[in-house]
Amino acid sequence: MNLTHIDDLDRIELPEGFVWRPVRRRFGIRAFGTNAYTPGATGQIVEEHTERRFEHQEIYLVLRGRVRFTVDGDDHELGPGELVFVSDPSLRRGAVALGDDAAVLAIGGKPGQPHEVSAWEYEFLAIPSLREGRYDEAKRLLHEALEAVPGNASTIYNLACAEALAGETDAALEHLGEAIAADPELLGAAQDDEDFSSIRDDPRFPR
Amino acid sequence: MSSGYAILSLDEVETTPHRDCELIPVRHTLGFRPAGVNAWRADAGGRLIPPHEEDSGNEELYAVVRGRARFTVGEEQADAPAGTLVFVPPTVFRTATAEEDDTLVFVAGATVGEAFNAAGWEEIALAEKYRRAGRPDDGRAIMEQLVMDRPDYWASHYNVGCWEALAGNPDAALQHLRRAKELDAAGESTQYFREDSDLDSLRDDPRFEELLG
Repeated sequence: MNLTHIDDLDRIELPEGFVWRPVRRRFGIRAFGTNAYTPGATGQIVEEHTERRFEHQEIYLVLRGRVRFTVDGDDHELGPGELVFVSDPSLRRGAVALGDDAAVLAIGGKPGQPHEVSAWEYEFLAIPSLREGRYDEAKRLLHEALEAVPGNASTIYNLACAEALAGETDAALEHLGEAIAADPELLGAAQDDEDFSSIRDDPRFPR
Repeated sequence: MSSGYAILSLDEVETTPHRDCELIPVRHTLGFRPAGVNAWRADAGGRLIPPHEEDSGNEELYAVVRGRARFTVGEEQADAPAGTLVFVPPTVFRTATAEEDDTLVFVAGATVGEAFNAAGWEEIALAEKYRRAGRPDDGRAIMEQLVMDRPDYWASHYNVGCWEALAGNPDAALQHLRRAKELDAAGESTQYFREDSDLDSLRDDPRFEELLG
């Protein structure tokens, strides 16, 4: 039987302080988005974000412990068996665990559309290795991400970060250019991104 | 609270019997659209999830929120305490019983490569509850909402037809079933028309035989 316990899922601790427990990836689910989250060092359990980019509706169900959700500026303290349904993708949502044992299950997707696996799942996998200086591993994971979701601007941007940090100037500049061509908003982000310190003085660096 | 989100306790949702189990109709209550979402509740020794395969083609994820369940998937059995996640592909048989009182299991499901469409089996379960409680108009209101939400989807009309057949209204049932047939260009309903026990009261009606073709 294809079964696991939330505590046995992979733990991917992200810089924002929450721990991503990949559920969809564990089971190979493709029909809808689903992941679990547990608190990291800061107590954050659900990243503060909107769903503007993917236009997903989301349900966050508390499986264990107590969790304080903030949705559209309002706080709601929930326990096991209680959920938040965010139907409006533009609303900012996030959550903080009120104890170490908390766990949240998220279900999401875009109404009226067949589900597509979100590129962030692959990018998030690469973040710990990127932050811990394991650039070859980060690059490998980001290349895998691009195979799964080709042309994704944010993934190409993160690949450029990994290359810049690894001292691969030519590859970093090429991918940064590609990322900005796919999403011009990344031009602004690149100007202040510390990951590009080593290549910012290069005359080819996009301005 | 703004209108773009809702808070819900699974324990406060109005439950309904469905195939001898206690269904918590989450999707119906929330209006969630990307996937089917529901929950099931049972006491120790009770049936938690009806024995079934997902003929809808949905792949499903079950999450034990509270208590302890015993899952049967295919030929295998497994103990599933709170915090257990079980994945079941569409064509595989599954059921579960509760090992502890007040066991609660949440489930989400949808079909790979298809936009999720709620067929409305949860609505039939609720409408049946109201009909049996002597409130057929409340039941009908639930079913009619299904058709208002998705007027072009064959399964909406099919399920309203099923409910009218159960309610003993053959004329209304046949009207909806005829519309379901018209909308079902791919012939997905054929097997349901032949085998669905909800339609048994119509099977001797020559108009129904005509529909079967």
